[in-house]
Amino acid sequence: MGKVTITPEAFTLVLFEVDRIRDRAAEIAATAGLDGDVHLEVDETNPLARLRVISWEPIELFAQGGAFEDSRRLRHLSDRNLSESLGRLLFRVKDRLDPGFADAPEDEKLSLAQQNVWDVYCLGRLAAAGYDVAKPRWHYHFRLRHGFTDLSDAAFERVWMSDGLSWADLDAVCMETERARTAG
Amino acid sequence: MKRHLSVEDLARDGRFVRVNIEDRMNDPRNLGGPGAYGRDAAEQADDGDRAARRGLGRMTPDAPNAPDAARSLMHGIFVGEIQALEGAGRTCYDFDLGEGPEEVPYALKLDMARQCWDESRHCEISVKLTESMGTEIGEFGESPFLFQAACNPDALLRLAGVNRALEGLAIDVFHTMREFGDKSGDPVLEFCEDWMLADEVTHVKMGSDWMRKLTVDDPERRARALEFQSVVDKLFSLGGGRSDDEDSPIRLARRFRQMAGFTDEEIDQIADVSREAREEADNRLAARRATATAG
Repeated sequence: MGKVTITPEAFTLVLFEVDRIRDRAAEIAATAGLDGDVHLEVDETNPLARLRVISWEPIELFAQGGAFEDSRRLRHLSDRNLSESLGRLLFRVKDRLDPGFADAPEDEKLSLAQQNVWDVYCLGRLAAAGYDVAKPRWHYHFRLRHGFTDLSDAAFERVWMSDGLSWADLDAVCMETERARTAG
Repeated sequence: MKRHLSVEDLARDGRFVRVNIEDRMNDPRNLGGPGAYGRDAAEQADDGDRAARRGLGRMTPDAPNAPDAARSLMHGIFVGEIQALEGAGRTCYDFDLGEGPEEVPYALKLDMARQCWDESRHCEISVKLTESMGTEIGEFGESPFLFQAACNPDALLRLAGVNRALEGLAIDVFHTMREFGDKSGDPVLEFCEDWMLADEVTHVKMGSDWMRKLTVDDPERRARALEFQSVVDKLFSLGGGRSDDEDSPIRLARRFRQMAGFTDEEIDQIADVSREAREEADNRLAARRATATAG
């Protein structure tokens, strides 16, 4: 198991516990099958919730503080949001290291639908590993990006329950749902 | 049964968490921009400097933050409906019948009872919409500002603050959500918001009509009510987030406000107040940034 480091080493604008973030990141990295060192930068000045994989070799991650925040208690950590955000980042890193994702575009070039289906794939595996994940929330996200159709709902369930997919599989879901949207 | 409850008396079950507006306003991270579901600089490149500086922008389905922004707003609508129901119920009960300044006519109580009926239906619709958007009840905090406006000891100021100002804001918000539902292809959101919007027009019109009727011989009382309404309008312009501007997250719904009894002049005044709120928010942000840089 690799070492997890967090920047900053102490928070001043938010009431986040660095140890809790570090321990959870280590736990989820192990769950995802990652054994390299992980560095996570948290921008505590920003209450937005953007996440970025800066690099996967070495593993460098970035999160705006809102991604870990409790929506009911400003500036406090949310256990579920922490797990979900770290899961989205770390499972994506795992996929980036997989030859099946060699032809996945860079993150900045992914469409909203592609980003979303990949997030759903990551979160489904996180949920399967026993973490608390708000599946209805992510289903709504999926519907907004892929359409409010029976086909889209079926695609969501399929991706959520899957493991061992490739980029081509995920992209095929996007094309399938886009065809259904434009046909409707 | 107690009359004239204070906002502290507002009861909720354990799922709800109260958030103070002061906590949000005094968030030390506000130097950078909006709340968690706002837009960052990378997303605002086309919005021009003003919107970029404060992270505001139209709520559209193709924005990266759209799903959670819509969920958060829908939950805000839901708790607003509960407070509107409670507020209308209080106004129905808290005053004796009569023609005096501390009394209300029977017909006004009847209108408030009618509003209770509408708002309870809105609560039910909002619960179902929040569920369909994957949101849990209490997932977001609740600010009791609508009920607080309904705690005013003067029935006329309650109507000014709640029915005209805050329900007027509801018209703008529902109009925005209706458009969001239409553009996103959500098969129920657009219709639910449209249905609730029709009721809100009625509620605002009740406020407009009663304000005129109760002050027909008391211009001073009318002026006080309009001033209170203006204060509430400005406070809940969301720092310029609700305005007449093309790039506002919540656009002023002029046509629906006209249907609700607002004159063009009154709507223009709300637009002006919103613009002032936005400029003041920009100035506060600039001052805080300057202080932070100097420190």
